[in-house]
Order: sequence, then structure tokens, then C-alpha cells
Amino acid sequence: MSLAIGKALKPRIKEMRFSLYLLNRNRLTRLSLLIVLALIVIALVAPLIVPYPQHISVETNPQDKLLAPSAQYFFGTDELGRDIFSRVLYGTRISLQTALLAVGLALLIGIPLGAIAGYFGGFVDELIMRVTDVFLSFPPLLLAITIAAFMGPSLQNAMLAIALSWWPWYTRLIRGQAVSIRERQFVKAARAIGTPPFKIVFQHIVPNCISPVIVQASMDIGGVILTIASLSFLGLGAQPPTPDWGLMVSTSRNYFLNAWWYSIFPGLAIFVTVLVFNLLGDGLREIMDPKTRKL
Amino acid sequence: MRSFLLKRLGLGVLVLLGVITVTFFITRVIPSDPAAKWVGPRATPQQIEVARVELGLDQPLYVQFGKYVVDLSQGDFGKSLRSHQPVAEELKSYLPATIELVVLSTMIAVFLGIPLGVLSAKRKDQMVDHFSRIFSVGAVSLPTFWVGLFLQLLFYRYLGLLPLGDQLSMDIKLLYEIPNITGFLLFDSLITGNFVILQDVLIHMILPGITIALYPLGLVARMTRSALLEILNEDYISAARSYGLPERLVLWKYALKNSLGPTVTVVTLSIGYTLVNTFLIEAIFSWPGIGSYISSAVISLDYPAIMGVTIFSAVAYVILNLVADIIIAFDPRVRT
Amino acid sequence: MNKNKTRIIVLIIFAIFALTVITGCGGGNKADSGAQKAKIAYYAFNSEPVLDWDPSVEFSNGIVVMNNIYEPLLRFDPMENKVTPVLAEEYTKSEDGLTWVFKLRKGVKFHDGTEMKADAVKFSIERTKELNQGAAYIWDAVQEINIKDDYTVEFKLSYPAPLDLIASCGYAAFIMSPKVAEQPEDWFSQGNEAGTGPYKLQSTKMGEEVVLTKFDAYWQGWEGNHFDKVIIKKVPETSSRRQLVEKGEADVTIELPYEDVEALKNNANVQIMDAPSFQNLFFCFNTEKEPLNNKLVRQALSYAFPYEDVVKYAMGSYATQAKGPIPYGHWGHGENLFQYKYDLNKAKELLAQAGLPNGGFKLLLTYMSGDEAEKKAAELYKAELAKLNIDLEVRGMPWDSQWEMAKSKDPKNRQDILGMYWWVDYASPYSWLYSLFHSEEEVLFNLNYYKNDKFDQLIDDANAKSGIDRAAAEKMYIDAQQMLIEDVPSVFAYDKQYVWVFNKQFKGLKSNAAYPNTIFFYDTYRE
Repeated sequence: MSLAIGKALKPRIKEMRFSLYLLNRNRLTRLSLLIVLALIVIALVAPLIVPYPQHISVETNPQDKLLAPSAQYFFGTDELGRDIFSRVLYGTRISLQTALLAVGLALLIGIPLGAIAGYFGGFVDELIMRVTDVFLSFPPLLLAITIAAFMGPSLQNAMLAIALSWWPWYTRLIRGQAVSIRERQFVKAARAIGTPPFKIVFQHIVPNCISPVIVQASMDIGGVILTIASLSFLGLGAQPPTPDWGLMVSTSRNYFLNAWWYSIFPGLAIFVTVLVFNLLGDGLREIMDPKTRKL
Repeated sequence: MRSFLLKRLGLGVLVLLGVITVTFFITRVIPSDPAAKWVGPRATPQQIEVARVELGLDQPLYVQFGKYVVDLSQGDFGKSLRSHQPVAEELKSYLPATIELVVLSTMIAVFLGIPLGVLSAKRKDQMVDHFSRIFSVGAVSLPTFWVGLFLQLLFYRYLGLLPLGDQLSMDIKLLYEIPNITGFLLFDSLITGNFVILQDVLIHMILPGITIALYPLGLVARMTRSALLEILNEDYISAARSYGLPERLVLWKYALKNSLGPTVTVVTLSIGYTLVNTFLIEAIFSWPGIGSYISSAVISLDYPAIMGVTIFSAVAYVILNLVADIIIAFDPRVRT
Repeated sequence: MNKNKTRIIVLIIFAIFALTVITGCGGGNKADSGAQKAKIAYYAFNSEPVLDWDPSVEFSNGIVVMNNIYEPLLRFDPMENKVTPVLAEEYTKSEDGLTWVFKLRKGVKFHDGTEMKADAVKFSIERTKELNQGAAYIWDAVQEINIKDDYTVEFKLSYPAPLDLIASCGYAAFIMSPKVAEQPEDWFSQGNEAGTGPYKLQSTKMGEEVVLTKFDAYWQGWEGNHFDKVIIKKVPETSSRRQLVEKGEADVTIELPYEDVEALKNNANVQIMDAPSFQNLFFCFNTEKEPLNNKLVRQALSYAFPYEDVVKYAMGSYATQAKGPIPYGHWGHGENLFQYKYDLNKAKELLAQAGLPNGGFKLLLTYMSGDEAEKKAAELYKAELAKLNIDLEVRGMPWDSQWEMAKSKDPKNRQDILGMYWWVDYASPYSWLYSLFHSEEEVLFNLNYYKNDKFDQLIDDANAKSGIDRAAAEKMYIDAQQMLIEDVPSVFAYDKQYVWVFNKQFKGLKSNAAYPNTIFFYDTYRE
């Protein structure tokens, strides 16, 4: 790694510490951070801690169908007698995993395009940015619905659909950063010694403008989880018997008048997860924003 | 100003073309045979072949695309593969119900969201602010479709206060002449003075209306708060305060007005969200709008219908954004 | 200022809304509904009531509406195995089964006022054949139609097909006014009709609802208790359909989840009636792909299917395990055919014989997304196959995508198991056996890809026989099914039962399996 990057990183680390301090100071943000961490732990160990691991994937237990919550089944059972508590808990893993992958994929598309647009400018910039304009002019979620509808229903396709409709945000963000970095000394120096342009883009531009994008991406997780759930709800996401929250709420539509618990708990899980991610994101935004960044 | 408008319009047209192109090509990767769908279940190969030619699906892709764009420019969205009806006609019959819902919930969002945001900015870091922030973040974190089911459980199943769904009770529909002047049921019953129908429709609108108003409500409150906070830090506000102008005037008149730009933007954005959220909840509430229409089109892969709704929504959204930009541009404070 | 004005306007609007809602809530300003409602029937249907208004073309949900507007020459009652006259009063056939003569009913009027005569019959069926869409294929055997006199029509067939059953089909067998020929091409799709049935089309909202009103000059007359109007409305959400019947708003509905049916059994105002249907579920095996190209593996998988659990939990016991492909109650149903029973040990034995003692393979099962029963059946099956160490992936797809996958050129790209319902068109076993199991040049509905020349020969012969000697044909069809049971190109999962959920005061409902989901509203009334 070049010296220039190291130098650029140092004040940033200091800044990050300060941010962490601010983060810790706000009670609400701290609480949501804790819950997010807890959710991540749950996602990691879910198969080990759920009371009925066999109800997650294969096994059915139809003689116990649609039982109300009890000491045996905390959240009741679904139409095939599976423990909803186990499935909701395991659903954490599915949601987080899919959301991370979708955002990661969107970053993978968005970052290079944005860096290229910002660094090269001119026609390339114009072209890439007009394409992002087109993608951004679809109402939110609509493009993901359309893409998922035509790719066929599966969790992977839902993920792809989200990535394909989400990347332009990152492209925009990165481009703005890249434009300002383009004229910085170390970039000029690299250009002067004849570094090939693509190398400059990926070795100098991208590493130096990535952090706000990463912050933004982490704030988006909540929204992405919600989008995945919405796609699954429309029948465009996970397939049975995957314990996906959106799919569970969707299936519950046929039973909810007799079995309130079937809709309520998976939906509550979506709500809580998205809420803590959004609260955390909100806190982060407040901290990162120089205008409100006060001691 | 004129050059700004022209440029913005030009860009708008470009974006629209892009939207149509993207939608068209997404729909061409479908792993299904529209011709078979057209003929219906148990189609014979000969019937499918005939339909393929009839629908122009045997033509090269760029020819199909050209034809689609030309038809579109004449308001022709093609025919639904299921009902064989022009998609444009179907959209026309489903749209009013959705628009009424969107307008109602946007109104709720704006008239509750802005005061909430103002209040929250005024009492920053006090209880009210904390409450309103949690509320607004909570509102944008709620899965809309789940809220719908939850409200149905509460108000229909357990309290028995409100109907489960639909736009009008069948009794009312049978006993009264349903006015149809503009196609907008709420509006038509209002101008014909048909208050029984008006009331029935409004009662049916309560649950879906609240359900989809929540998200934009949170969005508007949140955005108003942050825009106001930014402005309250400006010098001229401090100046106004130091002149001893009443705080109410400072807040509502000077500060809020100056946060018009972000507020208009966020209302536009929230209309976009509301529109798409109707896709998620109309089916739950059996609301006869384009949301129900697209949900059944998605299940049966009726691609002209899906394209129609997608393009219509995107175009509406682009135009909305354009209008928002123009409103902001006409505001002398924004023009630089 | 401007803003104040808008604020006031908005306030006023809100006030009006609030007032109407509040004041109206307890208000009793509804007219006396009893008298009017008594004459109106409301059927809450689970899907679009009509997809195509052309009686020659509609081959889907529209059966529900069309049979109240239009009439065929005959109607079939499968339970009594009897053909009843409708527009035709009687018919005769020649000994070789190639010439059929129908005597038409006199004094029948179309809704446009024209009298129904032989020219209308000739016109209708020729038009249907010519358009060649939907179920037009049922008339394939018909070579020519001759008008003998005003009330006599003669059909000449190319082979002895069972024309009485064909003429009583719920699709594509409707007789329409010859004046249709003078109408522009999109006349039907504009929401027009030209039938002889008891009800006329009053209004329709595309894809949503249909309102029918009585046709005063109906040939059976309006003596006695009948409905004046019929509303058939799409109510896709099961919870809403349940609500409508529960509250007495709708008179009748279908396709409720079995949990709801159970809950409604305790409701004093609601009656539940189950009746056999000619609709059954298959899980078609891909017989052209490893490992299901091996008959032993297919037999093993047939033993692994949890028939009882599926009937009980996926269908709430409103189904019976199928005996071969022809549903219970349909002629040609083999009551004595061998039935696979759920038996994992037997399945293991067969797998071992096939050289796969420990399973260890993956299979993909697709079903039509949105169908709860198929989904549950697939999930229950998955759990059983897991016990044999077979990994079943379950994927819900829109029917068209699923079908497209099944028609892939390379069998390797097709699913291993495909869930599919088949239902009656005209009441003949040939519909099931030919469509699902007869070898095909190009894949269409034989999604098992089953090829058996002997079987093909047998059912073709049986079909040719069915116009002359139905008993002999029936025996041949049962022999043919015996072959299928041995070769198991498909799991014969269950024969579905219709569950009608209706208001206690709604009378006269008779379920006829040959006309799926159809209510002949002329026969119904409110007590």
C-alpha cells in the first residue's frame, strides 16, 4: 500500500475515535448498537440455540398445526406445526445475510462505476451518471419488484434485484468524492509518474473515498432488510420452507384470522431489526454530519 | 430561468426514454412464453404459433422495441395477456382508487408530519423530540404489509369496528346508484352530495389509509426536523430572535418557509414510496387499485400489465420530481 | 396570504370528512334492504370471474359466468351419468357413431330477440372451430354441420367421438346468436353477449366483478322463486371471502382455507357442503432424467408420498387419495385400481433394488405459486424424502414459468417433479389420459414425458369406441390406467373436493363436477 494512503488514514482514525465517543454518548444509539450486535450474534449461532432446529428446514409436525403460543412453543406453531419461535430466530440469519450480500453486491457495482465517472469525467462521466439518473427515477422498490418478477422467485434473485436497483446511490456518492480527490496532490503525483488510469482509480481514488460510502451502506441495511421482506411478501423472494420473515408473514395471510401469532411475530422481528438498524443509522448520520456534530 | 427549465425538461425526456428502455429489456429476459399465455391454458402448439405472429413476438427484438415505443407514445400499452384488454384501459379503471388512497395518505403525512418535525426541532433533545424521533424512525421501519394485517386483526377481528377490506359495502352498492363522473369514487360522491356513499368509502379507507400514511409520515417528520435544525443555526434566525420577534413567528414563518426545498423534495419522495406501498397492501385490503392489479399480474407473469404499471409509475414519479424541481426553482430564495 | 387560504380549505375538507365519518357511523339511513336484497345473489369468487368475454374462446374462470348467460345443447350430470337436454330436446346417433342428429327446442330466444334455430347452432360451432382458441379442440372430430330444417342439425364426424359429452362441455360449446357475425371484432371484449341463458350481462368491471340481470323472455320462464340479479365478484384475499360470508354479505364462496372452514362450521348462519370435483393433483416425474428415468425409483418415490397427511393437513380432509388419474365419480374411474400407500420401508427396498440404497441425490420440485395446498403437500413430501436422504428442493413458480421450464429442450434443464392440477373439459377419461400421458411430438401437457406405444394405442382405440359403446371404452381406459400404475410416471396425489361455503338461506345450490365452481343461479333462490 502506498504511503499516501497511510497518511490520509491517520487523521481519519482519530476522527473515528471521536465518532465512537459520540456514538456511545447518545443513549438511544448505544442501545440500538447493542441490539444490532445481539442480532448478529443470534444470526451466527441461531441453529445452535433454537429449541426446534429440525423445524427450520425440513421437518414438519402437522398434528401440532396452528397452536397458540405456549410454554412449549413460545410463538405458537405454523400451518405445518413448526415452531415459529425457532423459525423467527433463524430468520435473523437469513435476513442479515441476504441484506449484507445485496448491499455488498450493490457496492461492488456502484463503487467502480462512481470512481470511474468521477475520475475520468467528460463523456464517460456523463454516460454513467445519466444511466444512474434513469435507475434513480424509478420510485423506490418498484424496480426491484419488476426485476424480481421477471427473474423468477428465489432469495438469490431477490437479492440480485435489490443490488441492481440500489447501486446508483453509491455511484452518485462515490463520484462526488472522486471528483474532489481527483485534484489532490497524491493523485496528481501518481499521474505524473505515468501510473495507468485504471490503476489510479482502484489504488488511489477508491480507497480514499470509500469510507462515507461504507457508512452510508451500513445505514442502508435496515432499508434493504425491509425491501427483501417486501419482495418475499409479494412471493418474489424466499421459497418454502425457508424461514424467511417476509415469506412467513405472506403465508400467514391465509391463517391470520384464526392465528394472530403467525403474522405478528415474524412481522415484529422485521420491525425490530429494521428499527434498530435505522436508529443506529440515524445516530451515525447525526454524528457524521458536521453541522450537528457538536460536543 | 428558461434555460434551466428547458434543460430540466430535456433531461426529463431523456430519463423517460431510459426508463422505458430499462423496463422493456428487463421484461425480455422472462423465462416464459407470452404467446402461450395469450392463448390460455391448454394451448396447442398451433395456437401458440398463431399467437406468436399475432403479437409480433416473432420479430427481432429491436423491431419489437421500436413498435413498443411508438405505441407507447400514442398511449397504447399493449394488451394484457390474461384478459386481452388494452392495458391502458385497465390502468384507467384501476387508477382512481389508488390515486385517492395516495392523496389521502400523503395529506395525512404532510399535515401531521410537518408539525411533528417542527415540534421536534423546536424542542431538540427534549422528551418531545425523543418521542417524535423514535416515532418517525419507527414509522419508516415498519413493514407496511404487516401493519395492514395487524390493523385488520385489531380493528376487524378483535374490535369489530372497521371492515376488513374493499372500497364499498355490497349493501350500499346494491341499494344506491353509484355516481361515476370522473371515476374517483370519493370525489364523485362528494360532488353529487351522496353522503352515504362518501361515508362508506371513507370508513373503508381508514385502515389502508393509515397503513400507507405511516411511512411518509415518518419521512416527512424526519426531514422537516433536520432541515429546520440546519436553518435554525443560521445567522438570520438568530438575528430575528434577537430583534425579539415571537418564537412562533420565527419558527413557522421564517425558518419553515426556508426549509421549503427539502420539504417539497421529501413529499415528492414520499409520494413515490406511497405509490409503491399500495402495491404491497392493496391486495390485503382488496382495494380495487393498480396495486391489486400488479399483484395479480406478477403472479401470472402478465408482462404487458407489469410493464404498464412500472412505466406508468416511473413516468408519474419523474414528472412529480420535475414539478418539485420547478417549484423549488421558482422560489426566489433557492435561485442562486 | 395564500397559505392561510389553503390551510382553511384543507381544514374544511378534513372537517367534512371527519363529520361524515362520525355522524354516519351510527346512522340508520339505509333503505329497507331486505326486500331488494332477497332478489340478488352475491358469489364471492377467488379470482377474476371472466378472462375473455368471447364464448368461443373463454377457457378458464369464465365458466362460472358464461354458463348463466349462454347455454349448450346438452348438459351432463356425472353423478347420475346422464346427459340432460338444454337447447336440444333430443338427439340420435348412427350405428357407426359418425352421424349425430340434434332436435332443437322451439321458442328459445336469444337476448337480442332472435329465435334460436339450426343456423345459430351451425354458426356458433363453426365460429368456435374457426377461431380455434381456448377449448375449440373439443370439436376436432366434427367434419361438417348440416342444417336439416329450422330445428334439426346434423353433425358428421371423422371418428366416433362422444359428441353428447362434447356438446355438454362447460367451455366452447355455447350457442350464440348468429347476429354476432354482423358485429365488429371487439364486440365481445366491449362487454357484450348474445346468449339464450337465464341471465343477461348488466355490467362488468374488468377483471373485478360481473353483474347479471334476469332475461325476461327466458324459455324456462320465471315462475317461482328465482334471483333477479347475480353478482359475481373477485375477492382474492381468503380472509375477505370469509368475512363476506360470515357477515352474510355474500351468499356463497369457495376455496377457503380449511382452517376457516372449520371455524365457520360453528356459525349458525353458514352452511358448508362438500362435493366431488373433477380436479386432481399430480406430481409429474421427469421420466427422461436421472434418477427418475428408473421405474424402481419412481415407485419408491410413490411409496414415500405421505398421502394421508397430505389429504388431512394440506386439504383438511376435503380430498381423497387418488386411485389412478381419473377422479372419483367420473366414468372411467377405476375403483379397484392398485393404490400406493405411504410406506418408507417399501420405498427403501425399492431404492436399494435400483442401486441407490442410501438415497443421496437432489431433486427439484416446482409447483404453482400461490396455491397453499400444493405448497403444503410439497413441504410434507420434502420432509418424508429427507428421511430417505433425498434432498428435495421446493420452488413455487408462476404457472407459465413452470410450464416453460418443463418444456425446455434438454430434459436436464427441466424440473424433476412438477405439481399440476388437471381438471375436466368435456367429461371423458381421454382428456386426462391423452393430455397427460399420451406421447407427444412437442412437449405440451405430458409433463411426465411418458412414452408407451401400447398405452397410446389403447386409449386412442378407447376414444374411438366411446361414441358407440361407452361400457367397452370404460374397460379399456381402466386397463390403460393399470399400465400407468405400474410405470408410475406421476404421483397420483389426491382427488379434490369442492367445499361450498354459503348462507343458510341460500337454497338450490347443486354442485356439478363437470362444471368446476359453477353455480347455475337459475336453480337457486333465497328462502
